[in-house]
Amino acid sequence: MTTPRPTPASLPRDPVDVIVVGSGAAGSNVAAHLAEGGKQVLILEAGPARGPGHLISSTLYARRVKWTGPPVLDEGKNPVGFVFNSAYGTGGAAMHHYAVWPRMHPEDFDMHSRHNRGLDWPLKYVDLAPHYDKVQQEAGVSGDATREIWRPPGAPYPMPGVPVFPQGSAIARGFAKLGRTVAPLPLAVTSTNYNGRPTCLWDGWCDSGCPIGALANPLTVHLPRAASAGAQLVNDAAVTKVLTSDDGTRAIGVEVALKDGTRQTVNARLVVLAAFAVENPRLLLASATAKHPRGLGNSGGFVGRYVMTHAAGLVYGLFDEDTRPYMGAFGGQLVNQDSYPKTTHAKSGAFGSYQWMIAQAVKPNDLLGISTSRPDVFGPALHDFMKRATRGFAGMTAVCEDLPVADNRITLTDQRDTHGVPIARVTHTTHDESVALWKASLAEGKEVMRAAGANEVWTGPQGSMHIMGGTVMGSSASNSVTNGFGQLHDIPNLVVAGPGLFPTSAGVNPTFTVHALAARSAEHLLTNWKQVAG
Amino acid sequence: MLNINSERLPSWPEPRRVARRDFIVGGALLTFTLAGCERKLTPAQARAAAVPFLALDAGAVAVLDALGDILLPGSSATGLSHYIDHQLSGDDADSMLMIKYLGVPAPFTGFYESGLRAADALAHAVYGKAFPGLSNEQASALVTRMSGGRVEGWQGPPAGLFYFVLRNDAVDVVYGTSAGFEQLGVPYMAHIEPPSRWGE
Repeated sequence: MTTPRPTPASLPRDPVDVIVVGSGAAGSNVAAHLAEGGKQVLILEAGPARGPGHLISSTLYARRVKWTGPPVLDEGKNPVGFVFNSAYGTGGAAMHHYAVWPRMHPEDFDMHSRHNRGLDWPLKYVDLAPHYDKVQQEAGVSGDATREIWRPPGAPYPMPGVPVFPQGSAIARGFAKLGRTVAPLPLAVTSTNYNGRPTCLWDGWCDSGCPIGALANPLTVHLPRAASAGAQLVNDAAVTKVLTSDDGTRAIGVEVALKDGTRQTVNARLVVLAAFAVENPRLLLASATAKHPRGLGNSGGFVGRYVMTHAAGLVYGLFDEDTRPYMGAFGGQLVNQDSYPKTTHAKSGAFGSYQWMIAQAVKPNDLLGISTSRPDVFGPALHDFMKRATRGFAGMTAVCEDLPVADNRITLTDQRDTHGVPIARVTHTTHDESVALWKASLAEGKEVMRAAGANEVWTGPQGSMHIMGGTVMGSSASNSVTNGFGQLHDIPNLVVAGPGLFPTSAGVNPTFTVHALAARSAEHLLTNWKQVAG
Repeated sequence: MLNINSERLPSWPEPRRVARRDFIVGGALLTFTLAGCERKLTPAQARAAAVPFLALDAGAVAVLDALGDILLPGSSATGLSHYIDHQLSGDDADSMLMIKYLGVPAPFTGFYESGLRAADALAHAVYGKAFPGLSNEQASALVTRMSGGRVEGWQGPPAGLFYFVLRNDAVDVVYGTSAGFEQLGVPYMAHIEPPSRWGE
């Protein structure tokens, strides 16, 4: 297996079949499948070249791979946490993602019809299920489909469930005492050797990026496939504008700013924007023309709207036993989805789904580390806490659904980046029913921790996990930006890929669904190539 | 991936221009310039060798050392000030400071300078002396007020955010390295160095 080597910033002069903007989960997936389908693919990555050698096992070095691109104004009562939740360079945010890969549930796709909340997707779970099956085989997912009693229909996991360490056992005891069950957390991490990739060492360095190929990041799975199929990856190539035909009906290429300050145009038959949930709408808005004065794909005014981020329900406990909390994967060891039905916590004024990610590996420091779980403690008491918690710490996180709100949105500011493109403002305030869901998760989590026998139980503040929406898919331009394959309603050969397409956020981590949607789009584009790009 | 939201901040003044120094990838050593020569040192060694500061002035460093030892005793000797100064004087894109996660736009020198000035001013206002001259009890009382986020007359970045950032910087320096892990008995299980740079 090879990772595409950074190429000199030489861009093709002749039109290519496909330009993919961004090399993260969505971009690498689309690029691999289109290249394997015989298309000439050029991946333009704004950030620097990164390979496994850059993924240093350190909470400090991990901060170097996070976003350092054009600034994003992160505003509202509950900002989305753009820098932490994104990245800059080959592999995008997925290079340091935690690979928690549950599927969305059927009820996530038609929430508006069922509950008069949020939006409907233009597809059903059954439309996506074959693509979940395909991607989990490609990327390798560890899990136990039988024990995961909440799991929608689908092929069993290709690898057995991940191991459980003492932290996981301690919390599982709490669920059991309450008459509830847990299952291995589905992780795109190797529990056995898989397609030439070694088994994970369970050392908890996922946030720094996995350099050994155990975790299915783009460097490990889809970028090598794209490269083998002839795709070209150019780093330090910031797309500044999507170019459209004079009549405004087709994308014809992109304008690219290179590191040396030069600017070039590359033409293509198909343009795929896979630059994550904020940069995609920024580009669409910044590419306005006389034919598209409000920005590309924005005839209905939906570009930038419905930005979502999961509220994190952080619950901690201290146990007498040695929980060895540094062992395992950063995403966790076990899962519980008892609170998936949308009205489970309706009595608390809550709406939506959540799941528990149980027993995440922790390091002493950093935003998700042991020390930060008790930000109020300082002085000699902090040394004491660190020593006690290193032996007995346990934690779990609820992934709380965020209802889509039209005014949670991405807009352009009057400030410009170094290439002259307006920088983005993201405004996000969590819906009241989603805040109530987050609070319900904390109450339930404390009950579980106490049942498990924790001596001390406490909770964290409302954090922001993942960024979704902003270029939502739907049935027409009157309610969305794209169709169910990510094609702009207004410009069908301009395609969006990534979590920005999600009309609802669900109560699970987004990356598996990003991949499944990308694979489905790629298949559709190949099948209908003449119609779309001919 | 997850981010704990922070309070909103105003923008900060540009830092002085300083020479860039690089980290050495793969270890806790930093490259410091001492007597015209580049040397690889831990922050603690840099402190012991009295490596000159490039981003922070002497007054700011004195407050930083004193605050650091209240937040996490021993952090000044571990080289907290040299670590932060090293990060502030390098390329923002390479910064390893936690502040970059918290919605504060780079550059970050102004954030530290303003916060340290505000802490010192608070010490003068409450006790009539500089922060480094406070007793442990006095300094701890002020830090408790800062951690609560509402300090009357505070002029700097939000006091609660400044406390959060500096406390975590101290934890980074003391416990965020392989030596720190060892103190806690946590196996570092370091750098996965596959035999043949897997995947490349």
